[in-house]
Amino acid sequence: MILDIKNLHAKIGDKEILKGLNLSLEKGKVHAIMGPNGAGKSTLSKAIVGHYDVEITAGDISYKGKSLLELSPEERALEGIFMSFQNPVEVPGVNNAYFLRTALNAKRIHDGKEELNAAQFLRLMREHLTALGMKPDMVSRSLNEGFSGGEKKRNEILQMLILEPDVIILDEIDSGLDIDALKAVSEGINQMKDEKRSFLVITHYSRILDYLKPDYIHVLKDGKILKTAGVDLVEKLESEGYDWIKDEL
Amino acid sequence: MRLINLTQLSAIELDECRNKHPKHALIEKVQTLGLPTRKSEAYRYVEVEPLLRETYEYAEFAPKPIVYGEKIIIEDGYVTTAPKGIRVYYSDFDDVNMNHYDPLYFLGHLLSPKVIMIEIDGDSDIELLHRFTKSNTLISYRIVIKNQTNRHASIYEYFESKNAQNSLILYGYDIMVTQDSTLGIIKNQTINDNAYNMVASHNVKVGKQASMMLKTFDFGDSSALQLLNIELDTHAMVDTGHLLYLLGHAKRGTVSKIVHKGEHTHSTQEAKNILDDGARGIFDALIKVEQSAKYTKTRQNSKAILLGEGSFMVAKPQLEIYIDELEASHGSTTGQLNNNQLFYLQSRGISKIEARKMLIIAFANTLIETIRDGRQQEKIQKSFEEAFYKKDLS
Ligand SMILES: Nc1ncnc2c1ncn2[C@@H]1O[C@H](COP(=O)(O)OP(=O)(O)OP(=O)(O)O)[C@@H](O)[C@H]1O
Ligand SMILES: [Mg+2]
Repeated sequence: MILDIKNLHAKIGDKEILKGLNLSLEKGKVHAIMGPNGAGKSTLSKAIVGHYDVEITAGDISYKGKSLLELSPEERALEGIFMSFQNPVEVPGVNNAYFLRTALNAKRIHDGKEELNAAQFLRLMREHLTALGMKPDMVSRSLNEGFSGGEKKRNEILQMLILEPDVIILDEIDSGLDIDALKAVSEGINQMKDEKRSFLVITHYSRILDYLKPDYIHVLKDGKILKTAGVDLVEKLESEGYDWIKDEL
Repeated sequence: MRLINLTQLSAIELDECRNKHPKHALIEKVQTLGLPTRKSEAYRYVEVEPLLRETYEYAEFAPKPIVYGEKIIIEDGYVTTAPKGIRVYYSDFDDVNMNHYDPLYFLGHLLSPKVIMIEIDGDSDIELLHRFTKSNTLISYRIVIKNQTNRHASIYEYFESKNAQNSLILYGYDIMVTQDSTLGIIKNQTINDNAYNMVASHNVKVGKQASMMLKTFDFGDSSALQLLNIELDTHAMVDTGHLLYLLGHAKRGTVSKIVHKGEHTHSTQEAKNILDDGARGIFDALIKVEQSAKYTKTRQNSKAILLGEGSFMVAKPQLEIYIDELEASHGSTTGQLNNNQLFYLQSRGISKIEARKMLIIAFANTLIETIRDGRQQEKIQKSFEEAFYKKDLS
């Protein structure tokens, strides 16, 4: 178990969104979460990374045996948690490459490693850019500014590849991607798979799951995980929707 | 001398002036407009009145010989060096804009028997250093810039001071941007520890098909004010930008009036203001579109980020329009750093302090990056970061 969520209750504003959610991520596994719009999927990922919108009112999230709740967002990131945003924000004036290098070096310092200089960093980044089919000018531009939807998603994956996190949360990484982009992004993700890492993939579509081959499918509805099953569940959800899934307790 | 005394001349003295003084028209202007008080429109947000009440050392006009150097240096109001290829000399000036709104514009001319004339031939980039070395002194000088048609020139202004405390500096430009030419003025001014007091009052006429770029970068913890009066002839264009990074109890900024006189004139004015501690930023800017200025385009915007508990922005973008057909947009926003952006950076392991810095620098950069000359852009960037990191170290 790398991440363990127990009886999580969380509010946004006055509204309770997560209502006693339980979920465990296993090392080396790919977990997919599906569920209707507004069910709380993004809220769950925000809760894990410590987003200021989300207030945790009960329960706990533990990571590598320790509670996350006391950690600031940057500490969580340095400890190896990464979320790709459903809607990455544009940050005009912050150079993408500079941002990536600052983030990577913060992590390297935290891990007791030497910082990378600009040249070393550039080399590392170039490899990833080609693999992701990203234009080199994307990193000399301002962070996400004027990026198309698909470019933003690729840029999220670029960050993931560079930061090499241990828990990777992908919130609708597949939405807005064309066929080639979906393939490139999936390959990027697959390339990160190993026995220590785990993935939490939030999606509405089976297509990306065909590439990622998840070990578990969880259905999040009414603020809880109401069903967990193997990959076969996806087909049933695609044909029948979520209505039939009820809180069995 | 005390400037305040100027407005207290008796009627008899005035009459005498009128007969004898070659510049009596200026004296009358100063009298009718009145020296700035707390109630004067243009000077509401800075405290200039106490400065005018001070008693200053004031020397008779005594220019020194000008030697060749890399840049133009004006020390305590007198030119000391000038580069080859640019004509810099003292001259009489009879083209004072009698419609200027600022009394200190007239006062500046009144106190300057001659103006510093800078004639730029051809395309050139010129550095102009203002240096102040006298304390408790009234330093007043006017600069007139002339360029040539079909030519592109830029002036990069810098400021330096040593032992200039309690001095009042009144300076400013009268600029005629010649038909079919472009002229850029880029000002980079950091004032810390009340090194000197300054009111800069400018007058710019942009000729037919000419374009002017005016970018000002004002940093530091001390107060100052710049006043602009810009008039646009047919097909003329002006692009202005003002970056403020203020801290401490600085009260600083821009009062401006851009007048569209001719048809097909364009103006843009963009103010970015970063205010820390108890600093007050000022952007009090009127765009006036006269009846004669059909097909005007104008865009005006002010954005402020308040970082300090007591920081405050006076943003007053104003449009005064006498035609129906134009494209105009203006607005202002004042707020904090964007939480979404902050969180995004933090979620990648960047500390909150570092993330804040990145966003503040980014905000400033959007204006600094409009300076196309790489070396000059770097200099401004450096000035900004020095002012910014000074806060950090204290
Ligand atoms: N900042 C916010 N302010 C108010 N309500 C919010 C906010 N963020 C989310 N919500 C509400 O919380 C609920 C859960 O939203 P969430 O984004 O977690 O859903 P989701 O499962 O990710 O949906 P989708 O599949 O559409 O992305 C929704 O009803 C949403 O309107
Ligand atoms: Mg969502």
